[in-house]
Amino acid sequence: MKQMTIALLGQPNSGKSTLFNGLTGSRQHVGNWPGKTVERKEGYFAFDGKNYTVVDLPGTYGLSANSEEEIVTREYIASGKADLVCILTDASQLERSLFMLADYTGIRTPVILLLNMMDVAEQQGKEISSTSIAKKLGIPVVPIIAADKKSYGDLFKTLKEPETISTMLDENILSDLYKRMERGVFKQVFSLLPEEGIGVYSSSWLAAKLIEQDSMAMEVVWDALSTDDRNKLTALLSQVRDGSLLTGDCKFKWIESLLRDSVAERKKGAPKRSRFDRLATSKTWGKPLSIAIIILGLVLSMVIAIPFMGLFSFLLSALSLLITHGLSDAGAPALIISLLCDGVLTAVTFALMMVVFVFGISLVFGFIEEIGYMARISYTFDNTMAKFGLQGKAIMPFIISFGCNIGGVTGTRVIDSWGQRVTTMALSWVVPCAATWGVVGLVSSVFFGSGAVFVVLSLFAVALLHMVITSKIFGKQLIKDSDRSGLIMELPPYHKPKYKNLLRFVLNRMGDVLIRALKIIILVSVLFWALSYTADGNVENSIIYTIGTFIEPVTLWFGLRWQTFMAFIASAMGKEAALGVLASLFNTSGEAAGIWAAMSGQAHVNTSSLGGALLTGISKAEALAFIYAFFFNVPCLMAVASTQQESHSVRWTFRIVGYYIVTALLMATLAYYIGLLIF
Amino acid sequence: MIKLNTAKDGETGWVASIKGNTRFLNRITSIGLTIGSEIEIIQNQEKCPVLIFNRDTVIAINRSECEKIMVEVIER
Repeated sequence: MKQMTIALLGQPNSGKSTLFNGLTGSRQHVGNWPGKTVERKEGYFAFDGKNYTVVDLPGTYGLSANSEEEIVTREYIASGKADLVCILTDASQLERSLFMLADYTGIRTPVILLLNMMDVAEQQGKEISSTSIAKKLGIPVVPIIAADKKSYGDLFKTLKEPETISTMLDENILSDLYKRMERGVFKQVFSLLPEEGIGVYSSSWLAAKLIEQDSMAMEVVWDALSTDDRNKLTALLSQVRDGSLLTGDCKFKWIESLLRDSVAERKKGAPKRSRFDRLATSKTWGKPLSIAIIILGLVLSMVIAIPFMGLFSFLLSALSLLITHGLSDAGAPALIISLLCDGVLTAVTFALMMVVFVFGISLVFGFIEEIGYMARISYTFDNTMAKFGLQGKAIMPFIISFGCNIGGVTGTRVIDSWGQRVTTMALSWVVPCAATWGVVGLVSSVFFGSGAVFVVLSLFAVALLHMVITSKIFGKQLIKDSDRSGLIMELPPYHKPKYKNLLRFVLNRMGDVLIRALKIIILVSVLFWALSYTADGNVENSIIYTIGTFIEPVTLWFGLRWQTFMAFIASAMGKEAALGVLASLFNTSGEAAGIWAAMSGQAHVNTSSLGGALLTGISKAEALAFIYAFFFNVPCLMAVASTQQESHSVRWTFRIVGYYIVTALLMATLAYYIGLLIF
Repeated sequence: MIKLNTAKDGETGWVASIKGNTRFLNRITSIGLTIGSEIEIIQNQEKCPVLIFNRDTVIAINRSECEKIMVEVIER
């Protein structure tokens, strides 16, 4: 066999993603499980002349069929597509994390057990004998440190052995424990099932799941039984109360028997808590500390990103100059030069800047996650974020978005459920980034003077309302009820970060990020370039002018003149673009730059002359309409590209974009008519 | 016997009963809490999830879920 498929299975925090990244590097494909709001990660590696496909199953605590993640996992294992399942456990919390193995026992797909974080376990004074555990289980047990690629040797050796994929996990001890369950209910259920099991499931496994009132197990069993047996089974199961507690008890007894004589420990009991951890989880100081650390993280990622941004924009403007000279000397038409330099190169600059910022954010917040602090943020903001139906961690992307929405969207990566992640992205778009305030500040102070304060306050109030409604609309489709149940979460111990690995994992992804970003950004940029291109620099000769003036009767419903409407459209490319577009469309004095230069943020805007032109050009109500339309618009093209990147769903990205454009225009209309009443 | 959300910091005991629907029972057992398992209350502050130590792990449990968990406190 030259090809082998391995499925990684393990609880959250077991280091599954770390191992997945370590094994596959940049050779990954991320998508969604068909028809499910669950992320599907697949990666590839080659070793000793053999190709391996690694499927990273969703991180769940067990194999019940209560959440989409668990259903996906169950369906995948039952499909028989995996040659081997690798169950990952955290050796420093072995007893608890072995629950996944206990829940798996009885599924007849070959399995090996990986004991991750052996280094942490050793530091805690635990001595774990993997050979003793392996003997009891009848399967290979491999110690590993997922964050350290040098420790993968034993795993590779095990994968090579032919008996790895032929030996089965011994289920007899667990099965015997089940049989001793009170009132013999397990025995009776077991006796109704076919002796040889059904498909990949043994009868013992199915009986335990039936006692847990597992609907998927019921479906599997139903077809295999006679009508008589079905009735018997239903009658039996109707007597069982709290079946999960009964089987859970057996599973942990099995784990205890497995670890007896295999683990030597120096001490028991809760570890002494550090002063930092007391502070991090304190009712009074937990939240301010979280916010301070997130802001610090944002600043740090800026510090990492800014030198690169400067370098790229310098290199690209030099390149642009070179191309312009080279091509015009060669006699190329001005149209082609403009397309290349203004359209494509600007897009490349945008994409590079985005990638650099994504890199900074991923690195800094990957670090916060790896050391274990992110779980504390989740804990302190659990109550607050639950109001939006989100995990406590969602606070992080929201705060980053005040700096930049691209960072906010990238920051959602720490959220482990895909549905929650996409909902958080959709919500984070409302948060006004730094660039928003330049435009809002100028337009509102020109029109409303000191009343601008009230405009800004009203924007905040409406933004909060927007978030509540958006969370309802998107949450309804994306967040399943099972996700909404109250927080039950492990707070992992603080870990020492492995800098080199973190850096490598983040770098590995950047090439992919750049290529995807380039595709979207070049496409949209070139489209806008074409619309605004004029040979002589006169606005009235551009397509955008023709369209804008043609549809003005419609945009006036929203309180937007064609100029403000175009500025609104341009602000979907980048918020800061709106000012430049306004300036060039209102033909303010000293404004020779074309619309495209304004849109791509290259034109210098004379704000005082723009203010005068605006005052004569539009009414107060129309200004208010524009502020609202602008504020609630799509944040920028790069945020859209990041959303597509992080959600890897074109469909949901389009939905969010459409939703934002529609609501922005709706807000503008409301603001316009309210404005008409006031002024 | 007391509800978990009324336990005090530093108290130790064992889980006497857990109530709730199947989904909740599955979640809570899969994270390690079963009848008879030993726990230690690490931190119980108003309006915050309760922090407990169980099977080598610090676990945070939402306050309303804690009402479904009864604990037999061991006097020291």
